[in-house]
Amino acid sequence: MALDKKITVFEVYNRAKTGPKVDERDWDNKIIPQTASRLKEKYGIKMDKRVIVPTDPELINNLFRAGLEMLVECGVYSMDTGRVIKFTEEEVLTSIQAAPKSVILGEGRDAVELKGRSYADSRPPLIQGGPTGAPVSEDLFLALHQAYAQEPLVDTIVDGVLQTINGNDPVPNSPWEIAAVKSEAMLVRMAQARAGRPGMAL
Amino acid sequence: MRQSDSHEVSQLNELKIDVGALCFTAHYVLNGNVIMCEQMPIYGGYAGGLEETTIVDVATHLNAFVMTQASWHLDGPIHVRWGITTAREALAVAGHCARAIEANTHLLLGNQYYTMAGPCTTMCLLETAAQAITDTASGREILSGVASSKGVATNFTTAMEARMMAEAARAAAGMELDQVNRILDQLVGLYEKNYKTAPKGKSFAECYDVVKLTPSQEYLDVYEEAVSTLTELGLNYWRK
Repeated sequence: MALDKKITVFEVYNRAKTGPKVDERDWDNKIIPQTASRLKEKYGIKMDKRVIVPTDPELINNLFRAGLEMLVECGVYSMDTGRVIKFTEEEVLTSIQAAPKSVILGEGRDAVELKGRSYADSRPPLIQGGPTGAPVSEDLFLALHQAYAQEPLVDTIVDGVLQTINGNDPVPNSPWEIAAVKSEAMLVRMAQARAGRPGMAL
Repeated sequence: MRQSDSHEVSQLNELKIDVGALCFTAHYVLNGNVIMCEQMPIYGGYAGGLEETTIVDVATHLNAFVMTQASWHLDGPIHVRWGITTAREALAVAGHCARAIEANTHLLLGNQYYTMAGPCTTMCLLETAAQAITDTASGREILSGVASSKGVATNFTTAMEARMMAEAARAAAGMELDQVNRILDQLVGLYEKNYKTAPKGKSFAECYDVVKLTPSQEYLDVYEEAVSTLTELGLNYWRK
């Protein structure tokens, strides 16, 4: 018997070129809301927003089943080709099974292990500190990120975006955008080194 | 960038992708990089209400590991009206989704933070704490933030918000869920009526000595005020 294989990004692209054609407005306004609504009814899912973290195992498992069925039934819409990329349930489950159970972020003494934890775990999550894509001016970019890197409880950095690059607007799909993105990475790396954590991940 | 940095690729709302994202992914895969797949489902958007958005969020999480061969998924359920991840409904979507994934898979999950209020305000710190408690008590592995002031104002984020994210996570780790939910209900109730009048706060340069890189005494005092509120609600971390 052949081993199940996880889906690769190359196979995803092939399916994006050959999957069923769907109108994007139908996808947004009919397929997504109608499927989600039907699965809510099928699995009898009812949430109480005063209970932010659920404790009912049946609700928890039904949400998982409904989400899995949503992905398999709908697939994913490829905006450039106007087609739907479909997966079988076996392909989804095999890909999930193949996903990493732990990942090392960073290098050397500054490396941290991102590994599974349960809701009841007394081990806290990792902390990725930073502006999370918020705009930062060129003159303060290094200092602002160094302040995160020197926080003892911060494990990795999620950077902000340069508002300008050498005074120019880094508009999308322009050379200035490339210059800005490269500078962001270089400046964050420098901020980490100045904080004495040169191996820290970003 | 090193292989051990988180290389970002984003899905689009809802259950959509563009070929450019697949090209990024191909490069990341062939280079052996850590891949972080990001997506922020919209509560009140295409999917609909609380339950429907959570179902779509679960599907989106799973898709990250199928379509983009992700090492970890970065969530961020966002409220359609307020544009923040700390609203009660956004927290409920995140909390339910993470528990559903955590109970049925070994997948590595993160969440990102967008608060209504800005730096040097107790509201911003309380919003941050509420989400950190939610994420920690629902089994997430990594917290990413904070984009204060909704992440749109230049230089309106500081490391003090990340400090609160980390400390609130430590305060909630291992706590019984009944207590978690009781604290969250009260905590969110302290700020959710103030969205329309939320303070923008102060910029990084107003919050820090930008040469010495130390927070201002004003911000340290605001932080202590938030800590006092959280301690009164039942978080004992700062008493130890």
